[in-house]
Amino acid sequence: MSKMRHLFRRTFRSAWENFYLNSVSAGVICAATLLVGLFLTVMFNLNRIVDTWDRDVHISAYFEHDVPVDVRFQILEEIGAMTEIAQARYVSEEDARLYLEERIPDVRPVLEELGAEVLPASIEIAVHEAYTSPTALTNLVEGLYRPEFTDIDYGREWVERFNTFLSLLQLLGLILGGLIAIAAVFLVANTIHLVVYSRRDEIEVMRLVGATDTHIAIPFLAEGALQGIAGALLAWLGLIGLHSLLIVRLQEALMISIADQPLQALPPQECLALVGLGMTLGILGSAGAVSRFLREVP
Amino acid sequence: MISLYEVSKRYGDHIALHDVSLTIGKGDFCYVTGPSGAGKSTLMKLLYGAERCTSGTVMIGGTNIANLPRRQIPLLRRNMGIVFQDFKLIPSRTVGENVAMALEVLGAEQSDIDRRVRAILGTVGLKGRERDLPATLSGGEQQRVAVARALVNDPAIMLADEPTGNLDGAMAIEVIEILRAVHVRGTTVLLATHDTALMDRFPAPQIRLRSGRLARV
Repeated sequence: MSKMRHLFRRTFRSAWENFYLNSVSAGVICAATLLVGLFLTVMFNLNRIVDTWDRDVHISAYFEHDVPVDVRFQILEEIGAMTEIAQARYVSEEDARLYLEERIPDVRPVLEELGAEVLPASIEIAVHEAYTSPTALTNLVEGLYRPEFTDIDYGREWVERFNTFLSLLQLLGLILGGLIAIAAVFLVANTIHLVVYSRRDEIEVMRLVGATDTHIAIPFLAEGALQGIAGALLAWLGLIGLHSLLIVRLQEALMISIADQPLQALPPQECLALVGLGMTLGILGSAGAVSRFLREVP
Repeated sequence: MISLYEVSKRYGDHIALHDVSLTIGKGDFCYVTGPSGAGKSTLMKLLYGAERCTSGTVMIGGTNIANLPRRQIPLLRRNMGIVFQDFKLIPSRTVGENVAMALEVLGAEQSDIDRRVRAILGTVGLKGRERDLPATLSGGEQQRVAVARALVNDPAIMLADEPTGNLDGAMAIEVIEILRAVHVRGTTVLLATHDTALMDRFPAPQIRLRSGRLARV
């Protein structure tokens, strides 16, 4: 109990006495965790959008023009009975034309010139959420193929490309995050080294009166943890501020509406993980500085 | 209590101590003396583990500290009180806090720390000065705070390296009188000094060093 009290007293006293240097360390950690937080926010929103697309997987199977209507409805029944299918709806050539004209009124003259049956009839298929993974979807589409169809479109290529892009982004994020973390540890270690150096005399005296390395180091590690938590909490506030002041307004100004939903702030669990990251950076930085310094003092 | 056998210490080509052998009994008071550069401070550093000898054996209380693992050195120092010429007080800490440092590293309870700090400050003539900062004290008073810090955990050995070097005559006498009183309580005191007037005033056995060699015991 007494040791804990000494630890808290020494930690907070040192944090206060070296307020400027501690603020610099906390600032470095804040910048590092803010960058990581911004990256995580981008990834979080991109993943949400992709999740939404996955949930709304929509397949269009286009008929050959010469397929009789009764065969078309027979195929519609077969497909509708499949367990993976949530809904299957027949769209005739006429329905397709009306739909397109409704969406793009200017296209009517072009369609009239090209003829009534320029747009093929199709079956529009909605898939149960459990079968929307890329592999399940590929298997499903293979099962849908029939000679009566000219083409089955489910945007696979585009989704796969986007997923590859996301994977690359994640890899880039990991590399950048790693570099940011190393730079932060280095900067924090050097800043805390200054704090430690400013207390060189005190450490020397503590050594002389029989303090162990652990006894000397623990308050510095606690100080590093405090800096990390303070820096990361500031970064959390920064993320909230950036989201509410910048991203939301930017989204409104540019009328961006990807997947019909606003860009969201990083969830609290991820923000807490950021605080953990900040604390770890602070402790690692302190540990580096103190161990280096303890080797120098006899 | 303290025995050195053929102890040598080199710093590169410079030999600070050369084949020094001596024994200091439990409860003894003796001076380590000699001109500047004779090896007095090096001998002291070997005794409190700040330096390791190049060769030889340094026995303290039956333990050879020449090969003592680094992590054991704090335990060795907890049984020693060490005083320096420059006091080594923390200017931002009060007198009481400076003295308490020696007890805090032992994990003593705060009430025990407060009680023992008050008692030892009374012993060195600084009763009621717990809350003062070192800068508000005279040189002699600051050295007495350093002595109090060295004594507060009742060490078996007291090492004082030129403790009167920064003090005028009267203040130096005050500090030596405190160290003599400590010796009377049964503590082994080793005092490095080249102040012959003090040694004449307070006679005690002398370990005389010259150019790193033992000239006389």
